[in-house]
Amino acid sequence: MPVIDVININKSFGTVKVLKDINFQVEKGDFYGLFGPNGAGKTTLLRIITGQLEPDSGEALTSGVSHREPITVKRLVGIVPEAETPPTFLTARETLELTCRIRGIDELSRVDSWLEFFDITEKSDVLCRDLSKGQRQKVMLAAAFIHEPEILLVDEPFINLDPIYQRKVREYLKALVAGGRTVFMCTHILEIAEKLCNRIAVINDGRIVSSGSLDELRVGDEDLEDIFLRVVEQPAAA
Amino acid sequence: MLKEEWRLHQSLVGGFGSGLFPFMIFLLTALGAYITPYILGNIQLTTILLMLHIASVIYGIFVGGFGRIGEHVMTRRLGQVNMLLQLPQQYPISFKHVMGVFYIKDSLYYLVYSYIPLVMGVGLAAPSAGVSYRGVAVLGVTMFLAFMMGMGLSFALSALSLKSKRGTFILSLAIFSLIFLAHPLELIPVSYVLPPMGYWATRNIGYLLVTAAISAILAAAGVLFMKERFELRQRRYDEFFLSAETKLGFMGGLRTMVAKEWLELVRSGSLVPAITGFGGHLIAIYFISWLFQAGFGIPINFNVIFFSGFVGFMGVMTYSFLTNLEHNEYLNVQPVSVDMVVKAKLAVYLLLTSGVTVSYVILIGFLKGQMSMVPMGLVVSASTSLFVVAVTAYLTGLWTNTMFFGAKTILIFTAIVVPPLTVIEIASMMIEFRPEAATQVIYGGSLLLLIAAAVIFSRLEHRWRGVSFSYVSTGV
Repeated sequence: MPVIDVININKSFGTVKVLKDINFQVEKGDFYGLFGPNGAGKTTLLRIITGQLEPDSGEALTSGVSHREPITVKRLVGIVPEAETPPTFLTARETLELTCRIRGIDELSRVDSWLEFFDITEKSDVLCRDLSKGQRQKVMLAAAFIHEPEILLVDEPFINLDPIYQRKVREYLKALVAGGRTVFMCTHILEIAEKLCNRIAVINDGRIVSSGSLDELRVGDEDLEDIFLRVVEQPAAA
Repeated sequence: MLKEEWRLHQSLVGGFGSGLFPFMIFLLTALGAYITPYILGNIQLTTILLMLHIASVIYGIFVGGFGRIGEHVMTRRLGQVNMLLQLPQQYPISFKHVMGVFYIKDSLYYLVYSYIPLVMGVGLAAPSAGVSYRGVAVLGVTMFLAFMMGMGLSFALSALSLKSKRGTFILSLAIFSLIFLAHPLELIPVSYVLPPMGYWATRNIGYLLVTAAISAILAAAGVLFMKERFELRQRRYDEFFLSAETKLGFMGGLRTMVAKEWLELVRSGSLVPAITGFGGHLIAIYFISWLFQAGFGIPINFNVIFFSGFVGFMGVMTYSFLTNLEHNEYLNVQPVSVDMVVKAKLAVYLLLTSGVTVSYVILIGFLKGQMSMVPMGLVVSASTSLFVVAVTAYLTGLWTNTMFFGAKTILIFTAIVVPPLTVIEIASMMIEFRPEAATQVIYGGSLLLLIAAAVIFSRLEHRWRGVSFSYVSTGV
């Protein structure tokens, strides 16, 4: 059974149709990359899968749970949103403590572990509103990882991170997948995605225009950037 | 910026609701103008004019507090909303310039959104109220000028407060002294504080020019005081979340979210304003009771029950205040739904207001020599408070301030809340003449309100569960 099953999803904002008949599956243990130009519908799709947004039609199942049960879906997964918006008036430490409490984690030593992992222990008593963008992103990542979910859905997780932490997060995600967990990632950073993803989908103008493993999609000695440019520049299938 | 403001309102309450707001002002003012002759019999025209102009100044003061949002806008994201105010972050344009334009935009917006419908409404009823069209037009002008004065004052003070606390204190003290000299000391005429009133006393157009000049000077001072650079501060706090959560153990399943809400209230510096604001609203009840007595000229004995009935009504402001502290977008990615946070806010509301309410009812009982009525007063204040706040939470969720700009929301709110409160208030006034019947109505009504509050509370989940925390995301 796929851990993420997206079935005939359609979504419009007003008169603009942003997702058109989206279908794909993510298997357990996949590092699945979703790529597309700006405004292609990646973030909207991620928000629908995680129950943050209701589609006009269709269904998204996460471990068999429908997007119509958002609380259950969010309990099952870790989510890194596109924008780094931790609670304004809580400190970094308190944000992770709040997350543990919401998710029913009694083992609060995890808070210290993740603060150390991202080297923000010294900033742990600073209000999130006063942290830099990169530090806030680290808090968001730690909050998504802290309950050790089986499935991670991450939207541009490397944005605002310096190369040291880009690498550290990359290695962590790779280790998760090696251990049998699943990562679904939206990103524009194709160099990183190429190193990480075993399966990809390209979304353009609200449609999945290509999907499969890198080897299946590759023509000649194309890299991911070449594949991406080729599939988004050709006219979308009607 | 005008387009941005209009689209912001539309995004909050829809195009229909947004358009309906000025229409509602038009209707209400027309209605007000129709009944004015009946009230005029007992209230002097000067008093009505004074009240209208004071209300305009206060409206302006509420609107003009945007001097302080400069720091907010320039140092962090506004939830997921970006506004034109943030232009100076990236473009070669000064923040002073943008704020000057913002001020002009707000002036024009509120002129069109509030004052033109108001003038049209009064104009509709002018012939039957015996007021000339010219008089209505002039009233619109003087009230708008009073609004501009309030807005300018608020803008200048809020901008100055970021630069100099001492300067803000001195300027505030000077203004309060001036008001104090005019009333109650009566050493200077009211027109020195509120020049539009000078016009109505003398018909000298010079007063209007002076008001316009004061408004312009205050606005210019606001722009001048505006800081161009906002330094990022790093505020550090000892861990408090877990201990707050432990102390709130009696809240059961709500304790985690209540602890978060409490921390936000304290650290945003809003705890004292929330309590004093609630107390201030209760003081406003005295003003309303005075209006009734003076307006209808009937020596009604406003008792403890009467004042207790208004407590809940005033709680709307406090709940609204609590919903403005944080955008909560973080919770979009956690297994938490909007209704859980709404319930946590209701719990914080009760923590904040219960003590003040009980003290207030007992104080009124003591002052009026009606201590025997205090238990009934406590029942009435509790039931009206729970009912009104439950309705507010049900209709507006975490976006009370903005959703009340939607005419549909405010009409539904009025239709649900006003009739039962009116019944209880009338019964409170009848208690002197028909004590048994009035007591039955008051206790019966209170019981029904408590039941209704419980039903509404249980429906919060159904109403708000499927809604995103970004449903209305202004961040300001």
